[in-house]
Amino acid sequence: MSLAARHLEANGIPTVIMGCAKDIVEHCGVPRFVWSDFPLGNSAGRPFDAGSQRETLELALRLLECAPAARTTVHSAQRWPVEGWKQHYLDLAKLTSDEIAERRKEFDVVKAVAKAKREGA
Amino acid sequence: MSDQREPFAAELDVPVPYMQRTREYYQTLGFAPYRWAHYVTAPFTPLALPLSRARVALISTAAPYEPEAGDQSPSAPYNAAAKFYQVYSAPVDEKPDVRISHVGYDRANTVPDDIDAYLPLARLHEAVAAGRIGSLTPRFHGAPTNRSHRVTMETDAPELLRRCREDGADAAVLVPS
Repeated sequence: MSLAARHLEANGIPTVIMGCAKDIVEHCGVPRFVWSDFPLGNSAGRPFDAGSQRETLELALRLLECAPAARTTVHSAQRWPVEGWKQHYLDLAKLTSDEIAERRKEFDVVKAVAKAKREGA
Repeated sequence: MSDQREPFAAELDVPVPYMQRTREYYQTLGFAPYRWAHYVTAPFTPLALPLSRARVALISTAAPYEPEAGDQSPSAPYNAAAKFYQVYSAPVDEKPDVRISHVGYDRANTVPDDIDAYLPLARLHEAVAAGRIGSLTPRFHGAPTNRSHRVTMETDAPELLRRCREDGADAAVLVPS
């Protein structure tokens, strides 16, 4: 998505990304970015919370209007309502070696499914 | 002046280091490390007209629901069969059925049962109604995920640009899920 934003921007269309993966988007380097400190999957605001979503979109719109230069990131001040969520994503600490082997097999299956679909596309 | 009595935030309350976590995870599983796209500079195009007159495009990584592609419900495990490999477009004036079972969102903490949390189409319509933005392009666009950087840069990004231009977009809001 970051690469698409860069391409549009380089060709004359101003862009803003709304996202949760701060390191990944900033590693790529994008023109404008609204970062929400929420679990991945909530880039547009908290679920069933129109106020949160409205506020997040408004930050994006203001960035389109006011960002002074490329790589402008705004941090949404909103907080995810549950504490402790940051430790869970791809957390290896609690996995046994059997579980790791199982995950490896699952990932091989996922890759095969994606490959079959991609080649059929 | 800031309130000097405000306590510091918790030490670990920082942005989740997704690249580091992902690297360590797949290394432990025995797979080669992924290399994320990386630049130190970025292009910049100022908005050429007031937002209240601008036509805005929405671009998403969500996937159109495909009945034959397995579980895409909010409780679905990662579903590679639901991925899509070509840019798609859908009208903004119909309620779309797009899902995110095909990507690695945070399943431990998120149940994606509210489309508005990953596709801000309803909120964008509100912004148009309020006069905050001029209009939306007639279509929103879907950007494929899990492709090589080369395919993204040589095929998908140019196709998204082509469609945005065709729709007369003055600006674009991009929302990865």
